[in-house]
Amino acid sequence: MNVVEPIIQIQNINKYFGAFHALKNVSLDIAPGDKIVVLGPSGSGKSTLLRTINKLETIDSGTIIVDGHDLTDPEEDINAIRMELGMVFQSFNLFRHLSVLDNLTLAPVKLKKMEKSQANDIALRLLDKVGLRDRAGHYPIQLSGGQQQRVAIARALAMEPKIMLFDEPTSALDPEMIGEVLDVMVTLAKEGMTMVVVTHEMGFAREVADQVVFMDQGAIVEQASPDVFFDNPQHQRSKLFLQQIL
Amino acid sequence: MSKDDITKIEVGDGAAIPSPDDKGLVSAWWVALIGTVGMLIALPVLKPDPYLTILKFVPDGIVVTFEVTILAIVFAIIIGLLTGLGRLSSNRFINMIASLYVEVVRGIPLLVQLFYIYFALGRIVRVPDIVAAVIAMAFCYGAYMGEVFRAGISSIDHGQTEASLSLGFDKKQTMAYVVLPQAWRTILPPVGNEFIALLKDTSLVSILAVADILRRGREYAAESFNYFETYTIIALIYLLITLLLSKLISAMEYRLSHYERR
Repeated sequence: MNVVEPIIQIQNINKYFGAFHALKNVSLDIAPGDKIVVLGPSGSGKSTLLRTINKLETIDSGTIIVDGHDLTDPEEDINAIRMELGMVFQSFNLFRHLSVLDNLTLAPVKLKKMEKSQANDIALRLLDKVGLRDRAGHYPIQLSGGQQQRVAIARALAMEPKIMLFDEPTSALDPEMIGEVLDVMVTLAKEGMTMVVVTHEMGFAREVADQVVFMDQGAIVEQASPDVFFDNPQHQRSKLFLQQIL
Repeated sequence: MSKDDITKIEVGDGAAIPSPDDKGLVSAWWVALIGTVGMLIALPVLKPDPYLTILKFVPDGIVVTFEVTILAIVFAIIIGLLTGLGRLSSNRFINMIASLYVEVVRGIPLLVQLFYIYFALGRIVRVPDIVAAVIAMAFCYGAYMGEVFRAGISSIDHGQTEASLSLGFDKKQTMAYVVLPQAWRTILPPVGNEFIALLKDTSLVSILAVADILRRGREYAAESFNYFETYTIIALIYLLITLLLSKLISAMEYRLSHYERR
């Protein structure tokens, strides 16, 4: 285990959707460079937890500290914090009115006041990395789902975030396209990116995760290294979940 | 989220704008256009008195009609954008003001509003008739346009907003860079319909002593007593204008949708 200062500290957070208790006293520390994979049945709160980290969901109690910034402090500039946090969505959410290249350069040009030519250079390098340089001039609708998701990853990376959040990045993809997206994520992990990944891809979790977090009914049930979690889960609910999916 | 179906919002009582895919409407458009142009040529040729005289007398009004229409639509779009944003605002006060405006305007007939604003304005400040007409039309159509903007903005998938926020854009930047550029696509057809409806409704300003097409026609008819012939020509002129405009708007809509085509 790491002893360095965590880059994300989640302490005793609670979240309600009306009467529904979506997150129950959840606490989680994430060190720089950690790859955390969050598993759990649908409705277990794993996506909600992920979305609280960049405040797409607000919390009702507890604290979340990202890179020294307290998200519950109204004085903190959430937009500045979000620039440190790349997010990849299940449904890609590429800007449909912009070309692939412009999807990547919009935020660096408008938010970091980067020169368009420099932003283009960075964008093309990132598109190279995800294997889509030749698609720079296309519109999102002209790409396959797997290609769109790789562009979405590159778009998030264009802001040079410290942390990447993945919200079921392969769940909306046809099976034959899952591999190309996971490959990009594995590469990113090997480069040392701090990653929090909500997924159903057990192979990815086993290969990449430093820690697997298993959630059920809004609470963290088990947190363990992938070897322990997959081969020797400690909790009954973890065992049941693994039996159902494996 | 489906990527293929584009949200269409249908508002308005304007002329139907033919989609390039809709063969039935497209051919009806051609029949109407040829018929209108044919009659506008044939009538003055076959019976110069009074048709040719009418045709020479009325065109001054066309310019006025377009002036009122274009000025009113520009202001209506500005008011509409603000109203639409206001109706979607989480600020309850702004939301209330915008909603109240829409409710009030929608509940009063345009003709009554025209009279009201004309005379209410006249009590405060002396403005030319055409200015009063533009203000009244923009005030009324701004409310309808507000609903168009509200619907168009709401139709953009929330994932677009979330993606923008997650990159670090604030709400205003998200609206300006991500949502509105896409909402235009959805908004343009109903805005086009409103434009055509507004052009037709400007005929109402003829009662405010604004010398639009209808007013010019009435002036001529009152002198010559050729009521039937005058209104025939006026109806044909309005029809020709709206037919051409509907085609223009459908062409603009097609151009604006370039990123939706594979």
